Amino acid sequence: MTKLKLGIYWAASCGGCDVSLLEVDEQILDLAAAADIVLWPCAADVKYDDLREYPDGWIDLVLFNGAIRTQENLELAQLLRKKARNLVAYGSCAHTGGVIGLANLSSREEIFSTLFKDHDPIPTEVSQVDGCSLELPQFLNRLTPLDAVVSVDYYIPGCPPPREIISAVLEAVISGKLPEKGTVFASEKNLCDECPRERTEQPITKIYRPHEIEADPEICLLDQGLICLGPATRGGCGAACPNANMPCTGCAGPTAGVTDQGAAMLNTIASLIGVGEEGEAVLQDEDAILQEIEDVIGTFYRFSLASSALGSVCRE
Amino acid sequence: MSDTGGNSFEPKIVAFLCRWCSYAGADLAGVSRLIYPPNVIPMRVNCSGRVDAGMVTEVLAKGADGVLIGGCHPGDCHYVNGNYKTRRRVQLLKAALEQAGVNPERVHLEWISASEGGKFQKTVEGFTTKLKELGPSPVGCDD
Ligand code: SF4
Ligand code: SF4
Ligand code: FES
Repeated sequence: MTKLKLGIYWAASCGGCDVSLLEVDEQILDLAAAADIVLWPCAADVKYDDLREYPDGWIDLVLFNGAIRTQENLELAQLLRKKARNLVAYGSCAHTGGVIGLANLSSREEIFSTLFKDHDPIPTEVSQVDGCSLELPQFLNRLTPLDAVVSVDYYIPGCPPPREIISAVLEAVISGKLPEKGTVFASEKNLCDECPRERTEQPITKIYRPHEIEADPEICLLDQGLICLGPATRGGCGAACPNANMPCTGCAGPTAGVTDQGAAMLNTIASLIGVGEEGEAVLQDEDAILQEIEDVIGTFYRFSLASSALGSVCRE
Repeated sequence: MSDTGGNSFEPKIVAFLCRWCSYAGADLAGVSRLIYPPNVIPMRVNCSGRVDAGMVTEVLAKGADGVLIGGCHPGDCHYVNGNYKTRRRVQLLKAALEQAGVNPERVHLEWISASEGGKFQKTVEGFTTKLKELGPSPVGCDD
């Protein structure tokens, strides 16, 4: 049997996704038996020129983690799209832009001036340092998820993806039974569907941040005034965060058929807030509750800003 | 997105109007032959509570410069409290818009009853003027 060819690539990424692959423990040996890893910059040296020499469609499957932030990320996404039969967006950053997508709240110049405030010179695409010329890939104006720049065959959500999901994907790869294109390897339902906590259907009368209270471990976190993104987030992780007494922050992206995860969660919170009988008098109390949410984008769009309308605002 | 800023700029407005109050109010403005700017594309919804934040961000992403949401006055919603939910949503959405660099005044919520044709006219006039001042929407940069 000819071995499969597998590629793993990181674009704008923290490295956590590469490491998460090892969470499958000994299953990695099955993978090694079934597939040759022809590209994995995190673990093995690779030259982009060699990659360019590969025939189109030569790599059976590429797991692409990280978002598109630089010209290099973009070029590699395009190159790998050509070389891979199946291109997989692996992890939140590739899937929805991820937590680093919050950078779209700032312009490129704002990012540079904050990051390199006291540096001279601020790195540019070509910088002259001590008589030498240094070239860096262009830093793009905005960060985008992978499918904003090339077509994507499969999605593996999570920051990083949970072991069970990676394991299921590897099994599908090894057995050659990949599902229909476009599949998101996770639940079709939202996280609440698999969360063991008990819903009491209480209206929210006060909003807390996780460090402000010790949450009851049995009751739904939303019912306790903690903003849990479970209702607007795709399940599949087994409710790992609620099980650790922490609210879901939405890393698995929107549920099937929804594009704007942040908006969906914002609707949910708006519907749950209640301070008694509806009437003009309660409006002020409601406003006071809403104002307790300090960082609205960071709360509702923590992982999905770059894939939503509000993450593509022109800034000058 | 629309061409230029300045005086020649004609904003595109999508108006979600609840069927029981605001859409009827807009109808009344029409049959009363009140004149208002043609910039508004009215969409009838059963209740302002039907308008979720994702619908607003979607029309902004598709090129609207402003979104008007019309509902019954507090206490008058045909479905009891749909307009209260909408009010809270709009409030949160405005905070999100502001943080994302979009002027929150691009989303406007107004209570317009079935008998307030004049208020509908004034609202559209005022909103169109405001959006002309603000210029084309910055949502949907394709750089
Ligand atoms: S999805 Fe999470 S773990 Fe993976 S690269 Fe992005 S930030 Fe890191
Ligand atoms: S909101 Fe959070 S805590 Fe409540 S059921 Fe859903 S996932 Fe569980
Ligand atoms: S029916 Fe008009 S706001 Fe609900």
